[in-house]
Amino acid sequence: MAPASASSQLELQRERGFWRASFAAMANPCEILCETSDEAIVRRIGALAMQEAARIERKFSRYRSDSIVHTINTGGGQPLMLDDETADLIDFGATLWQLSEGAFDLTSGVLRHAWRFDSRKALPSASTVAALRGRIGWQRVSWRRPELILPEGMEIDFGGIGKEYAVDRAVALIQTAADKPVLVNFGGDLRAAGAPPREGAWQVGIESAAAPGRASQVIRLGAGALATSGATRHFIEVNGKRYGHIIDARTGWPTTDAPRSVTVAADTCSQAGVFTTLAMLQGANAEEFLKMEGVQFWCLR
Amino acid sequence: MQLKNDTRSIGNALASATCGLLGALPAGGVLAEEAPKWQVDSALLYYSEDDDRVRDISLKAAIRRAFDEDRSLDIGLSVDTLTGASPSGAVPTDAVQAFTRPSGRGSYQIAPGKLPLDDTFKDTRVALSANWSQPLGERSRIALGVSASNEYDYLHLGADVRWERDFNQRNTTLFVGAAYGNESIDPVGGAPVPFAPMRGTDDAASKRGTDSKTVVDGLIGLTQILSRRALFSLSYSYSMSDGYLTDPYKVLSVLDPDTGRPVAGPSGSGLGLYLYEGRPDSRTKQSLYAEWRYALDRDSVRVGYRLMDDDWGVTSSTLEAAYRWNRTPDDYLEPQVRYYTQSAADFYRTYLLDGQPLPRYATADYRLADLDAFTVGLKYGRKAAFGEYSVRLEYYRQTADAHESGFGVLAGYELVPPLTAIIVQFGYKFGF
Repeated sequence: MAPASASSQLELQRERGFWRASFAAMANPCEILCETSDEAIVRRIGALAMQEAARIERKFSRYRSDSIVHTINTGGGQPLMLDDETADLIDFGATLWQLSEGAFDLTSGVLRHAWRFDSRKALPSASTVAALRGRIGWQRVSWRRPELILPEGMEIDFGGIGKEYAVDRAVALIQTAADKPVLVNFGGDLRAAGAPPREGAWQVGIESAAAPGRASQVIRLGAGALATSGATRHFIEVNGKRYGHIIDARTGWPTTDAPRSVTVAADTCSQAGVFTTLAMLQGANAEEFLKMEGVQFWCLR
Repeated sequence: MQLKNDTRSIGNALASATCGLLGALPAGGVLAEEAPKWQVDSALLYYSEDDDRVRDISLKAAIRRAFDEDRSLDIGLSVDTLTGASPSGAVPTDAVQAFTRPSGRGSYQIAPGKLPLDDTFKDTRVALSANWSQPLGERSRIALGVSASNEYDYLHLGADVRWERDFNQRNTTLFVGAAYGNESIDPVGGAPVPFAPMRGTDDAASKRGTDSKTVVDGLIGLTQILSRRALFSLSYSYSMSDGYLTDPYKVLSVLDPDTGRPVAGPSGSGLGLYLYEGRPDSRTKQSLYAEWRYALDRDSVRVGYRLMDDDWGVTSSTLEAAYRWNRTPDDYLEPQVRYYTQSAADFYRTYLLDGQPLPRYATADYRLADLDAFTVGLKYGRKAAFGEYSVRLEYYRQTADAHESGFGVLAGYELVPPLTAIIVQFGYKFGF
C-alpha cells in the first residue's frame, strides 16, 4: 500500500440534496456521500469510514514499521502465525494468484524498485527486472492458514486489493450505523450502501482518458460497487508504446495495449477491483475477457 | 493467463473468495447503468389573450444527445400556430370603420367604439436549431449553433458561438458570445411604403416586394459562485439590427384635429386615412442582466433583473423572482412573478393629426408604447416512473399609456386598452 498519509481530518460539506464527508487515506481522497438532512448521521458514518480506512492503512501499509506487512516482510524466512483478518486477505490473494494463473501475485510488489510510473520515459533494464523476478512467486511461499513462511528476500504487498477491501469494510460498518442512502468512494473505487438515493442512483463520472479531471462517461449506480483501474496518469510511454502500471508478475513487465481505463460493476468493490486488474493484465484482450466473464464494464482506450 | 471459453469462469470462484474475505455478499446485487444519452424536454403551450385577440398553441422539444459528460448536441424544434386578431394601430371612433386586408383582397369592418383589430392574423411557424457544445482545453468550453425558422411571410437564418472559461478553482466563469441572424420578410400583399395610405381592395399601389434585416449580437458575462449556496451572474449584451424593422401590417389613424374622427382616405377607397407606419432602419440595444440564485436547505430561490436601453428611446426593466418549494423528494411547486416596465419609443404616436407635417418615423404599435406588465404564475412538477412532468399556469396583465390624449370623439374611449392573457403549459421530460 502507498505511504501512510498524515492524520486526516473529516470535512463535512452540504451539497444539493446530500452531505459529503471527505478525508484523505491510503494516499487517496476519500469521501462518503449521504442523502440525509441530518448532519449528525453524516458525522457519525464519516468518522466510522475514516477510522476504518486509517486502521486498514496502519495495519497493512508496507511503509509502516508497526504494520503486519512489515513484520511479515522482515520475518527472515521464519514461520509466522497470522491473525484472522490478515489470513483472510492472504487467502483472497492466493485465490487471485490461482485464478490469474500467476499474473497477479501478492509477492510482486518488489517490482516497484524497477518500475516507477512517473514522468520518466525510460524502461528498466532487462537484467534489473530479471534480478527482481528471483524474489517473486507465490508458489515459493508456504501458506497453511494461519501459518505463513515467506522465504527471505521476498515481500508481500496488499496494494492490489487493499483499497477495495477498505471500501467494502467501510460499507459493512456504515450499514450497522445508518440506513440512509450512502456512497463510499475511496479514490475512485466505490460502493453504494443503504437504500438507493432519491434520483434512483448515484451519478458516477469516469475520468476521461483524453482530458484528466473531466468525466467522459457517466454511470448511474443504484446498488453494488464500481472499481476503476486506470492508466490515465500512471504510465510510461516509450516509442509510442504505453506501459501501464499493472505488471504481470510472471514476466515482471507491464502488459501493453491495455485499455487506458477499465471500470467494472460488481456486487462488492473487492470483486469489481479484481475484474479490473485481471482485465488490465489481458492487455489487448481486456474487453473480450470481461465480455466472457459476463460482467458489466466500461473500457476507455 | 489464457482466455477460457466458458463464461463466468472466474466469477463464481471470485464470489466465494470474496465471501471468505468479507463474511457475506450483499443481497441486493449490483444495479449499474450508463447514464441516459438522450434527454428530451417537451412542452405543449397554450397562450390566449382576452377579447379573441392572439391565441397561440405551440409544441416545443429540446433534445440533447450527450456524447460524454462534456460533449453534447442540442436540437431544438418548435411548431407554433397563431390565430386571432391583433391591434392594427388605428384608434377607435364613433362610426363603423372599414379596413382593407393586408393582401389587398377583401376588407373588414370595426364597430363604433371598438379597438380596430386585424383578424387576418393566422400563421404557422416552424423553428429548428442545433447547437454543439464541447470542451476547449482544460478550463474552457465552446458552443456553436445554427438556427432557422420559417413563417408564411418570414424566414430567419442564424448562427451563434459562445465561449466560456473557468477561473479561480472553477468558482468564476467568464463567457463571451456572438450571434448573427438574417431575416427575409415577404409580407402578405407586399411591404408597404412608409406613410403611404391604406388603399381600397385590389389596389396594390404603394406596396413593394420583399425586404430583409440583419441582427448582430454580442454578449459578455460572468458567473460567480459566492458560497456553496449562492450563485451570482452578470452579463452585458449589445445588439444591432439593420434593415427592414417596420411592421408591414401596422397603421396610424390620421385624425381631424377638431373632431377626432379619421379624415377621408384615398378617393374611391371608401376608407378613412390610415398611414402605414415607418420605423428607423437600424436599432441598437444594450442590456444588462443580473441573476442571483440561492439554495436553502430544501428549497431554492431565483431573482433576476434586466435593464435594456435602445436608441429608439425604449428603456425597459424586468424584475422576476421564483421560489422552488420542494414539497417532497418527488414533487415541487414553484410560484413565479415578473414585473416589466418600458418607456415608449421616441417615434411612438397614438395617432397623427391632419394638417400637421409628417414625422420622420412613426408607429402606433402598442408594443412600443409606454407599458407595464405583470405576470404571476405557478408551476407544479412531479417525477413519474419514466421522466418528470410539469404543469404551469400564468396570468399576464399589461397596461399601456396613450402618447397623445383623447379629444373630440376619442374622449370616451380607451385608446390603448389593457391586455390580459392566460398561459397554460404542460411539460414532460425524460431520458433514455
